[in-house]
Amino acid sequence: MKTGFSVFVAVFFAMAFSWSGFVLGPVRQLGVEGQTNILNSSDLYPNQRPGAATLGLQVYRSYGCAQCHTTQLGQDGVMCDVVLTAAGNKPAAVNNLIATLKLTGLTKDEADAVSGQITAAGGKTETHIVATGADISRGWGLRHSVAEDFLWDNPVQLGSVRVGPDLSNVGMRYDANWELTHLYNPGALVKDSIMPPFRFLFKKEKIDGTPSPEALPLQGEFAPPAGYEIVPTEDAKNLVAYLLSLRVNVPLYDAPYTTLAPATEKKK
Amino acid sequence: MSNDLKDSRQTSGEPKNPTVPVWLFAVLLLLLYACGVYYDRHSGWFDDQVYAPFHNSDELAAYQPVSGAAAMMQEGQKTYSSICAACHGDSGQGKPGQAPPLAGSEWVNAADFKEAGEVPQLGLNGEVHVAGQDWNSQMAPMGAALSDSDLAAVLTYIRGSWGNKGAEVDASDVKAMRTAIAGHPAINGEVGLKAIK
Repeated sequence: MKTGFSVFVAVFFAMAFSWSGFVLGPVRQLGVEGQTNILNSSDLYPNQRPGAATLGLQVYRSYGCAQCHTTQLGQDGVMCDVVLTAAGNKPAAVNNLIATLKLTGLTKDEADAVSGQITAAGGKTETHIVATGADISRGWGLRHSVAEDFLWDNPVQLGSVRVGPDLSNVGMRYDANWELTHLYNPGALVKDSIMPPFRFLFKKEKIDGTPSPEALPLQGEFAPPAGYEIVPTEDAKNLVAYLLSLRVNVPLYDAPYTTLAPATEKKK
Repeated sequence: MSNDLKDSRQTSGEPKNPTVPVWLFAVLLLLLYACGVYYDRHSGWFDDQVYAPFHNSDELAAYQPVSGAAAMMQEGQKTYSSICAACHGDSGQGKPGQAPPLAGSEWVNAADFKEAGEVPQLGLNGEVHVAGQDWNSQMAPMGAALSDSDLAAVLTYIRGSWGNKGAEVDASDVKAMRTAIAGHPAINGEVGLKAIK
């Protein structure tokens, strides 16, 4: 074959060109991600997941949880709330001014204008950055997911279909007991849940002397027969450790929002 | 009609074969290459920090939250409980004979935060009068390794908790204070603390 060499060269360059576009370029841009500072803090994010949670990620993967659950949140918009922190020397004037102004759901420019007006009247303001969107109004999180959130995950379990709810922040919503019971019998905790029970992650054991502290507190038709108890296997414990480690609860430069002290949040 | 078309195509296509000069190809290829390099140098204007709904890095920078007083208090409490609370107590009550209280301390509540800031920055050895009591102990420069914003947060927390009524402290204030007292040795008691300008 006379043209063999030139065919090889042409194919090689065609492949190399697309490889550098699809693989090399993205790796150079996103593959170098490291820990970043949490906003207004010197703490780093994210931390390595605990050992059991790292094992749990493989359990999550092997049972195909990502086929029905996502771990990525979207965000449709961002808005500013202007909050008065001190009324200053002329509280009446400031309060009158505030009554005429729109203080929530502003763009940054509007918020700057409003806080400028209030500051000119003698009050002190703070501008809160709030992420908005369908996922956030469902209470699934405070901001959209970013690449850093998955820094330690291998493989990353993003998921693309939401047969069940998004799990980005599931570690903040429930505790270990809830998760275990839910895995054993989803219907008992979530009415009309269509999640299949994962009973094979649990063992039915005869109570030998003292009951195990890990036994599930089951009642009604799902309670084991007298003298027996339901205990989670290693897989179940690791999976729950992974679920509890899912928490995207800090503001980052690429996902900014204002953290509110718990007291302020309650007031809302 | 169709005959005419056929004829005209044949006559115009065949005899003259206009040649494109080779240098034009070379110039076009070079131009294409230069465009590619330019595009690549800017990574296609891709920024790995910018996610929807933000459109560009300027917009993202505009929406960064300024550390509000509430966030400062929260951050300060974290630092306080990991560093300061061991001696000064979880509620700033101090430790008898070892560490003076921060709650109700005249140094902490002073209008200017500088004295409250200099102590963790430089350390304090010797006699000091705090809240109606004389203290004589030693404190290492526990706050010297903190970042400006962390020290500001912990000072804000101390000055705003347990009944203290000091104003909040900004990271820029702390930076200015640190520049002013850079290289100063450990403070020698109350006399030394008052002497720092």
